[in-house]
Amino acid sequence: MVAGLALGGLGLLGGALAARHPRGWLAATLTGQGALGLTALAVLGGGGSWADPGAGAWSSPCGHLRLDVLSAFFLLLVAGVGGAATVYAREYWSEREHPVSAVAGRVWWNLFLAAMGLVLLAAHGIVLLVGWELFALSGYFLITLNRTPRAVRSAGWLYLAASHAGTLCLFGFFAALAARTGSWALGPLHDRPELAPLFWLALLGFGLKAGLFPLHVWLPSAHANAPSHVSAMLSGVALKMGIYGLVRFSGWLPTPPAAGWVVAGLGGVSAVLGVAFALGQHDLKRLLAYHSVENIGIILMGLGFGLLAAAHGPAGWGPLALAGGLLHVWNHGLFKALLFLGAGSVLHATGTREMSRLGGLWTRMPWTTALFALGAAAISGLPPLNGFVSEWLVYLGLFDAAAARGPAAALAIPTAILLAITGALALACFVKVCGVVFLGAARTPAAERAHECGPAMRGAMLALAAACVAIGLGAAGLWPVLARVVAAWNPAWPPGETPASLKALTAAHVVVALAAVAAAAGLARKLRRAGVRRAVTWDCGYAAPSPRMQYTAASFAGILTEWFAWILHPHRHEEKPEGVLPRRARWSVHTPETVLEEVIEPVGRGFLWAAAQVRKLQHGRVQAYVLYLLLGVAALAVLALWSWTG
Amino acid sequence: MSEIGLMLLRMAVWLGLAPLLPGLINKVKAAVAGRRGPPVLQLYYDLARLWRKGVVLSTLASPGFVFGPAVAWLAVVAAAALLPLGPLGAVAGFRGDVVLMIYLLALARFATAWSAMETGSAFEGMGAAREVSFAVLAEAAVIAGVLALCVQSGRLTLADMLGESAGPGAALLGAGLFVVLLAENCRVPFDDPNTHLELTMVHEVMVLDHSGPLLAAVLHGAAVKLLFFAVLLVQAVLPMGHWPAGTALAALAGGVLLVTVGVGLVEALLARVAFRRVPLLLTSAWVLCVFALLVAWKGGGR
Repeated sequence: MVAGLALGGLGLLGGALAARHPRGWLAATLTGQGALGLTALAVLGGGGSWADPGAGAWSSPCGHLRLDVLSAFFLLLVAGVGGAATVYAREYWSEREHPVSAVAGRVWWNLFLAAMGLVLLAAHGIVLLVGWELFALSGYFLITLNRTPRAVRSAGWLYLAASHAGTLCLFGFFAALAARTGSWALGPLHDRPELAPLFWLALLGFGLKAGLFPLHVWLPSAHANAPSHVSAMLSGVALKMGIYGLVRFSGWLPTPPAAGWVVAGLGGVSAVLGVAFALGQHDLKRLLAYHSVENIGIILMGLGFGLLAAAHGPAGWGPLALAGGLLHVWNHGLFKALLFLGAGSVLHATGTREMSRLGGLWTRMPWTTALFALGAAAISGLPPLNGFVSEWLVYLGLFDAAAARGPAAALAIPTAILLAITGALALACFVKVCGVVFLGAARTPAAERAHECGPAMRGAMLALAAACVAIGLGAAGLWPVLARVVAAWNPAWPPGETPASLKALTAAHVVVALAAVAAAAGLARKLRRAGVRRAVTWDCGYAAPSPRMQYTAASFAGILTEWFAWILHPHRHEEKPEGVLPRRARWSVHTPETVLEEVIEPVGRGFLWAAAQVRKLQHGRVQAYVLYLLLGVAALAVLALWSWTG
Repeated sequence: MSEIGLMLLRMAVWLGLAPLLPGLINKVKAAVAGRRGPPVLQLYYDLARLWRKGVVLSTLASPGFVFGPAVAWLAVVAAAALLPLGPLGAVAGFRGDVVLMIYLLALARFATAWSAMETGSAFEGMGAAREVSFAVLAEAAVIAGVLALCVQSGRLTLADMLGESAGPGAALLGAGLFVVLLAENCRVPFDDPNTHLELTMVHEVMVLDHSGPLLAAVLHGAAVKLLFFAVLLVQAVLPMGHWPAGTALAALAGGVLLVTVGVGLVEALLARVAFRRVPLLLTSAWVLCVFALLVAWKGGGR
C-alpha cells in the first residue's frame, strides 16, 4: 500500500519534472496514476484500510495520511478518469498548437492530480486544507492556460473567487472542529452531538466546490472556457471532491436532524434546474457544464436519503439510495469526462463551441459521433448503460421509502417525481445536442471541414466509453464494493449479499443489449437485401432547401425553455420584418446566468457601493482626521459619563 | 403449461395481437361517422406490404438511422415483456422492474428522436422536439401513477403492484393513465394520426423519412406501445390478483377492448387541441395521478 502510494506520488512528481519531454511526462504520469489506481483497487477489493504508521497517535504534528474504502472509491475515479484525460491531453494540448502553455499545462496538471490525491488521503485538518488550496490553485492555472481571451480570464477569476469563498468556509469548519476536539486529527466522532451544527459550514464549503444549485455560479463559465481535458477533469472528478467532503464528514461527524431533508431537497432542486438551464444553452461545453449541476443533484438525492435513513432508525432503503448516489459519482465521472472529451474533439476540429454553427459532423468524425452518442445515452439514464444503474438504485431507495410510509415518504414521493422529470429533460437535451451537432447537414464551412481526432484522443474516449458499458452490463459485480463503502460511511449498515433484483437487472441489461444489437443487425441485413435508394430529405416540395433551414438548438428546446422561463429569464432580441418589402429580420434568444447576474452581481455591486461610501471618510486631510479623533474622544467621554451616572 | 410455452404465448400476444388495436380504433371511428371503414386487419396487410418493399434513405442519414427504429422497436417490446399479462405473468419480475420498464420506453423515445434528427429536416426536428418535450410531463404522470400503485400495495414488483391495483384511487389513476395513453401514442386530442400536414404532427412527422421495413418496424412498435398502455391501464384499475385466472384473463381482454373503443370514441368525437394547450392537458393527467397517489397514501390501503 505504502509502496503504491509512494510510487503514485513519485510518478506524478517525476511527470511534473519531465514536463518538457512529452513522452517522459506521459509515461511517468501514467505510471503514477496506475499505481494509485491499483492501490485504490486493492483497498476496495480487500476492504481493509491502511493508515500510515504515525496515524496511530492522532496528535503528531503533521503528515497524517489515511486510505480507507471511501477514499479509495474516490481515488480510483481520480486515477481512472485522470489517466484517460492525461492520454487525451498529450495530443490535445501539444507544443505544436499551444507553444506557450503546453509545458506549464503539464506541470499544473500533475499538481492538480496530486493535490486531489492529497485531499483524499488527508486525515488531518491542516493537511486537508493545504491539499484543498493546492487543488483549487492548480485548477485556476489549468482553467486559464490560454488566457488571451477575456472570457477565459473572467471565468478563471470567478472560479478563484468562488473557490476561496468555499475555502473560507472550510477554514472555519476545520478550525471550529479543532477548537472543540482539541486536535486537528480527523476521524469518526459520533459521540459528540454538539459538533452537529458544523455540518452546515461543511455543506457550504464543499457544496461550493460540488456546484449544487444556488452555489454553482462559478461552474458553467469555468467548465466552458477551460481547455477540454481540464473541463473533463473539473466536471468528472474535481466536483466529486466536494461530494467526497460531504460524504466523508457526514459519515464521521454527527449531523443535525434536518441535514437529510436539506441535502435531498437541494439535490432535487439542483437536478431539475441544472437540466433546465442546460436546455437553454447554445454553447456545447456550457451545456455540458450545467448537466454537471444536474448530476450532482442526483448524487445528493442519494446522499440525502442515506442521511434520512440513518437519522430515522433502521431502514432498508438508506443503503440503496446511498449506494446509488455513490455509483453515480463514478458514472458521472466516466460519462461526463467522455462527453467533455468529445466536445473537445469537436472544438479541435471546427474551432467553435456554438452548436448552431455545427451539424452533420458524423461524416467526418464517425468515432467521436458514436462515442459521444454513447455518452449521451448514458447520461440520459438509458438502459442498458451505467447511468441507468445508479439512477435505478436511487429510485429503488425512493420507492422503498415511499412504500414504507414513514416520515421520509413525504420527501421521497416528490423526489422520485423530480428524478423522473430530470431524466426526461436530460433525454430531451441530449437528443438536441446529438441532433444539432452531429446529425443532419453541416451548417457552416467550418463544420464541413471538420476532421476526426487523432488516435490518443480517440483511445482515451474509447476507454471511458468501455467503462460506461462495462458498468452497465456488469452492475451486480460492483455491489460488494458499493456495500463496503456504504458500510464505511455508516457502520450500522453491514455489507450484505448482492440484492437479487440487482442481479436480475444486470441480466436484463445484457439481454437488452444483445437483443438490440441483433435487432439492428437484422434490420440492416434486411435493408441490404431489400435494396436502398438515396434521395433528398422530404422537404415538403420546397425548391431550394439549405442547411440553414434545419431545426436549431434554440428552437428544439423552445417548448421546454418556455416552461422554465420563470427561472431562466431568457433574453429575446427581435427585429420583426416590417414594411411592404421587408429588408431584414432577426430573432435570437439567449439564456443568461440568472443566479450570477440577478443575485450575486447585484449583491456584489451593493457591497462595492457601500465600500466606496466608507472610503470617502479617508481622503488624506489632516484637519478632518483630527476632527475624527476629537469626535471619537467626545463619544467615549459621553459613553463613560453615561455608564457612570447610570 | 411449460415455461417455454408460456413465454411463446406471451410474446405471441404482444407481437401478434398488437396490430389489431389500431384497426379496431379505425372501425369505431368509421362506425361513429357512419362509414364502413378499412378492415380491422388493415395494419397487418400494411406491415406485410412494407416489409417486402425497398427503402429510400435520406442522403444525410448515417448508419445510425437504421439503429433508431430497430432499438426503438426492441425497447418497446422489452418493456412489454416486463409488463405482466394478468395471469399469464411477465417474462421477468424483480423489485424495481417497473423503473426499468419506464426507462425502456425512454430508450425507445431517444432512438426514435435520434432517427428523426438524422434527416436534418426542420419538420422532423419539430416533431422530435414536441415528442421529447411532452414526454417530460407524461413521464412525470406515469411515475406518479406507479408510485400510487407502489404506496397502495407496499411492493416494488410490477406483478404484485398491478395484482393489488390502485385501490380507492383507481378511478383517478385510470383517468390519468388514459390521458397519458392518448399522449404517448399520439392520438387525438394530442396528435391526429390521420392528418398529413407536417407542421401540426408529433409522432407521424418524426418518421416522414422512414420507408419500407424501417416504417414497418416503427408502425409495429407503435402498435405494441398502444397495447402496452392499454394493458397497464386495465391492470392498474382492476385488482386482478384476487380473481381466478379465467376471470382475470377475460377481464383483461374486455378491459383492453373497452380502452380501445374509448380511444376510438375520443378520436371520433373530439378535435385536436392547440399545441399550447397540450401541456395543460398533460398536467391535468399528472394531477389526476398525484391525487390517486394521495388517496393511496392517506387512504391507508394494504
